[in-house]
Amino acid sequence: MALLQISEPGQSTKPHEHKFAIGIDLGTTNSLVASVRSGKADTLSDVDGKHLLPSVVRYSADSIVVGLAAKENQVKDPHNTISSIKRLMGRGVEDLKAQFKSLSDELPYEFAEGDSVVPRIKTAAGNKTAVEISADILKVLKLRGEETLGDELEGAVITVPAYFDDAQRQATKDAATLAGINVLRLLNEPTAAAVAYGLDSGAEGIVAVYDLGGGTFDISIMQLKQGVFEVLSTGGDSALGGDDFDHAIAQWILEQAGVDSSELSSSSLRLVLQEACSAKEALSEHTETEIKIDFSADKNWTGILNREILNTLIDPLIKKTLMSCRRALRDADVDKEQVIDVVMVGGSTRALRVREQVGEFFETEPKVDIDPDRVVAIGAAIQANALVGNDAEGNLLLMDVLPLSLGLETMGGLAEKIISRNTPIPVSRAQEFTTYKDGQTAMAVHVVQGERDLVDDCRSLAKFELRGFPSHVAGAARIRVTFQVDADGLLSVSAKEETSGIEASVEVKPSYGLQDSEIEAMLKASMEFAANDKDARSLREQQVEADRVLEAIDSAMADDGEEMLSAEEREAILQVRQELEISRHNATEAQQLKDAMSKLEKVSAEYVARRMNASVQKSMAGHQVEEFK
Amino acid sequence: MSDSIFNLNYFEIFSQPVTTEPDVNLLKQKNRELQQQAHPDKFANSSDADKRLAMQKTSLINEAFETLKKPVSRLQYMLTLKGVDMNGETDTSMDGAFLMEQMELRESISEVRNQAEPLDVLATMLADLKSKAKNLTIEFSESYELDDLEKSREIVRKLQFISKAEKEVNEIIEQLEDELI
Repeated sequence: MALLQISEPGQSTKPHEHKFAIGIDLGTTNSLVASVRSGKADTLSDVDGKHLLPSVVRYSADSIVVGLAAKENQVKDPHNTISSIKRLMGRGVEDLKAQFKSLSDELPYEFAEGDSVVPRIKTAAGNKTAVEISADILKVLKLRGEETLGDELEGAVITVPAYFDDAQRQATKDAATLAGINVLRLLNEPTAAAVAYGLDSGAEGIVAVYDLGGGTFDISIMQLKQGVFEVLSTGGDSALGGDDFDHAIAQWILEQAGVDSSELSSSSLRLVLQEACSAKEALSEHTETEIKIDFSADKNWTGILNREILNTLIDPLIKKTLMSCRRALRDADVDKEQVIDVVMVGGSTRALRVREQVGEFFETEPKVDIDPDRVVAIGAAIQANALVGNDAEGNLLLMDVLPLSLGLETMGGLAEKIISRNTPIPVSRAQEFTTYKDGQTAMAVHVVQGERDLVDDCRSLAKFELRGFPSHVAGAARIRVTFQVDADGLLSVSAKEETSGIEASVEVKPSYGLQDSEIEAMLKASMEFAANDKDARSLREQQVEADRVLEAIDSAMADDGEEMLSAEEREAILQVRQELEISRHNATEAQQLKDAMSKLEKVSAEYVARRMNASVQKSMAGHQVEEFK
Repeated sequence: MSDSIFNLNYFEIFSQPVTTEPDVNLLKQKNRELQQQAHPDKFANSSDADKRLAMQKTSLINEAFETLKKPVSRLQYMLTLKGVDMNGETDTSMDGAFLMEQMELRESISEVRNQAEPLDVLATMLADLKSKAKNLTIEFSESYELDDLEKSREIVRKLQFISKAEKEVNEIIEQLEDELI
């Protein structure tokens, strides 16, 4: 039908097509979804007008509840109500043992036994991985986006802590895939915040974004110039956040109450953590607060927590963040004096002590006038909007970096860096290795991420073997290993023996990530849902196409239908046109619409041809044939 | 930007003459311009092939930028333009006096914590290393111009030593400063 639409060159007959995209901030404590509507980016609320979705999922045998309703059942149903799942993303069982050794019982979940390296939490709805639980949160946000925007989504930008390693990024992307979301880009949280802040304030120069969330800390040093947001360096700790403040306070409470945490039930432990969190929040407003806890029927405790005590509890944690700030400044080759603004992001920057210490460190009053909870989602929405092509001026550009060095294991368990941290991405780099034994025909490639010299101190990302290359004396084989990091910060590795051309490549499926088969199984489980989804999508697409066709035929008929068609011809076309319009509103399957459209196409084929000729004649009138050769 | 970017050398990509001291601000400006055109975000709606090409182009621009930004890698790259690949070289001869000096420096770095004002001592060391590097770069310029590749190589090797020492000094500064926070 395209030929019906003959328009001036360079002028589209299609009305400007606005594509819908969302930005998602998948947080440790709360998650948000935002989008750009009528040129303005804002977070989307649920039916009750709430923007923040607590990142809590409660599983029961027949239902999955996400958000506030789940959070309210945390103390009552601790084993089935999962919170702070982001801390487990991309983590293996071994990692968790290391990470949570101080409060081994701080995770009130039961983990399933098994040989899987990925931890699985036992719930009433079966064993759940962090990826599945995150997917359940993402589904709610996606639905909120679709319902608010009233249309299919083109895709989403999902934010991750800048300091997330490859395994954690991959896990986040897997969760989105599982939730049926087309991931336009994984975007670093501080970068997203800088976009929202930079576009809003119009600031140009060097800016530090200090992002302290519930479970992660990021610092990014950025250069803002003419719509370009260039990350100069990034640093942080993917296991440090406001949760740790709560834990420090909780430990203090237990000490004061003379209670041993190992004697407490999961419910009581949850209760202590919740009280600790409330006390922390209260101290942002007041100088002291009372804490009351009923451990059991015959054991309760009341005490006062004031700001001085709080400060001594959290100062060591804040100090850790400042050390990261210093390192990031050094990596960026920037002096503190050059930083024009420090942008505070993340709920934990509400703590007064944090603001105070950060201000002292950077010797400037930190910016707290933007909502630290929403700014990341808003930045993500702006990026999503630009990526789907709605950004008319098209100046926005985000240039990001690799947060942690990538390397390979070499002899003696040493990690040899191939790409160092803070290298701009995307980046591709190759390194040649050789064999160390005569006649060696295979080589194991072990990819690691981290800053330490020993492989054991770095994070293992992937292992694969390159086999079957010809036997050489030691040192004669040339094995070229190429790392490619894409704009999402995700790594793929390929290796090639140069003298023989033997090749091996892997998408880096992290050692501690999910196996392909596991993802497949999860996808299968949600397949039925996906099939429905796909049908709905193609019907929607055909409806849009039908609208376009109807509009085209109507405008052509109004234009020259009288001159070019006989009365019978007109009648025939109009009748089929009418059928299409009815189908447009009644069809339940895409195929019905397709049939109606091809019928209209057939009946109007002659008309199209006549219009085509007329148009060509018109445009050639007054010209010599030679000119068209 | 045409696909021929893959045929350009790093200096050409940034429209700069081959030089030991490029205008870093100009490099940064040009980098932003190139990224505006080539970055994968500008091809989010394109075919997979175009996306891939965008990733490769941007990877190349980033690699070129990083190489030219840092003095040692820049000089090393200049040598590759004259056919000298310093990666994996086995001949690492260097004059004895320089090596002796470096060994002494390493020793004072490792003992700096015993000094009364270690941060001041380290700052002096850094300034000293920077001025040495500057002089060596000028020397390199001359020998490179004269096609004395052997000498140019040796200078780069010296610069590698200096850059490594700088890194060590910075690491200790970092540790000391972290202790002060």
